[in-house]
Amino acid sequence: MANFLIGLREGLEAALVVGILVAYLIRTDRRDLLRWVWYGVALAVAISLGFGALLTYGPRGLSFEAQEALGGVLSILAVGLITWMIFWMARTARTLRGELQHKLDLAAAAGPTSVMVMAVLAVGREGLETALFLWAGAKAAGESTDPLLGAVLGLAVAIALGFAITKGAVRLDLGKFFTWTAVLLIFVAAGVLAYGIHDLQEAGVLPGLNSLAFDVSEQIPPSSWYGTLLKGTLNFSPATTWLELTVWLSYLAVVLPMFSRTVRRANDPGSSSSAMTAVPANRGAPV
Amino acid sequence: MKTQRLVSLCTAVLAAGAFTACTDNDSASGDAIEVTSTNDECIVSVEEAPSGTLTFNVSNEGDKPTEFYLLGSDEQQIVGEVENIGPGLERKMVVTASEGDYFTSCKPGMTGDGIKAPFTVTHGD
Repeated sequence: MANFLIGLREGLEAALVVGILVAYLIRTDRRDLLRWVWYGVALAVAISLGFGALLTYGPRGLSFEAQEALGGVLSILAVGLITWMIFWMARTARTLRGELQHKLDLAAAAGPTSVMVMAVLAVGREGLETALFLWAGAKAAGESTDPLLGAVLGLAVAIALGFAITKGAVRLDLGKFFTWTAVLLIFVAAGVLAYGIHDLQEAGVLPGLNSLAFDVSEQIPPSSWYGTLLKGTLNFSPATTWLELTVWLSYLAVVLPMFSRTVRRANDPGSSSSAMTAVPANRGAPV
Repeated sequence: MKTQRLVSLCTAVLAAGAFTACTDNDSASGDAIEVTSTNDECIVSVEEAPSGTLTFNVSNEGDKPTEFYLLGSDEQQIVGEVENIGPGLERKMVVTASEGDYFTSCKPGMTGDGIKAPFTVTHGD
């Protein structure tokens, strides 16, 4: 059960981001780009599993410093990319409501490269850690297959949730879809940023690892299922440092208003073209 | 083409990052240090080791996920850390440590101050 929850937590964030990305491409009629998402996912999985195996079974291990640095850098890159994705979505929402001639902007905004890089980072950010965890399970499988089974099941549930999110999001009304997925992504990105800060604090690059803003580990144990869900989606840490909290709040304070401004511009009356629903009366009725 | 270039760049960066930072799994002195973490114990096979690259093999024999840390003499500064050691798993932590006083710490359930014990790194070779 504990291994199941770790697998679930490690997979949730990637499933969430990729799920939204896929839903977004479907909603904007860019199904041609979907395969690039899967290429990105496959590439990230292959690299993670490959390095994970090398570090687990090979003669060399990854030093703690390198692991933290890699985690920190990937987190910050991921925040940048998710933020870009949010505004890209907001702009596209505007374009979609506008005239057809803007279709060109749409195509330019979402190329195979950007879509693929997004998928690589979404999966790759926690990919190595997840791979190391899985390989540890594979190593233990000689004695007991329970840990590996739990870990794989946890990941499978995370992936299933990702698909469910895509399905659900595809059914939403277009306006709601853009708003809700974007707001969700903003909170995901803020969480990733705080997590990256925590990594850098652990590595000693940033100070204040032990000055906690709050500690609710008693109420929300990180090994509980709800602690797992909160950590897996929003990167909520029950013991949050002041620096993490400050950065988290600052990110939201900057990005939320910026986003709402972008959306409001998208909703201005000028771009909502009148619907052509009136059907001209047919004069010559068939006899 | 742009994509391919970018992808190979990413791979190269990741590869370079990982490999230059790789350390030998087996330190010159030989064997890895075995750590057993249970729900209320943190058993480290040795209390001291020569400076250089230290490898800790941490196995979790409790029923909660655990974490293992090598801390500085102030018991706070993190020298090395390995997370997500689920029940029944063994994970490796590799650190480079210079001569000095340290603390080992297991954190069953991933909360609290951890179960700490002093650990000494002596002058190598």
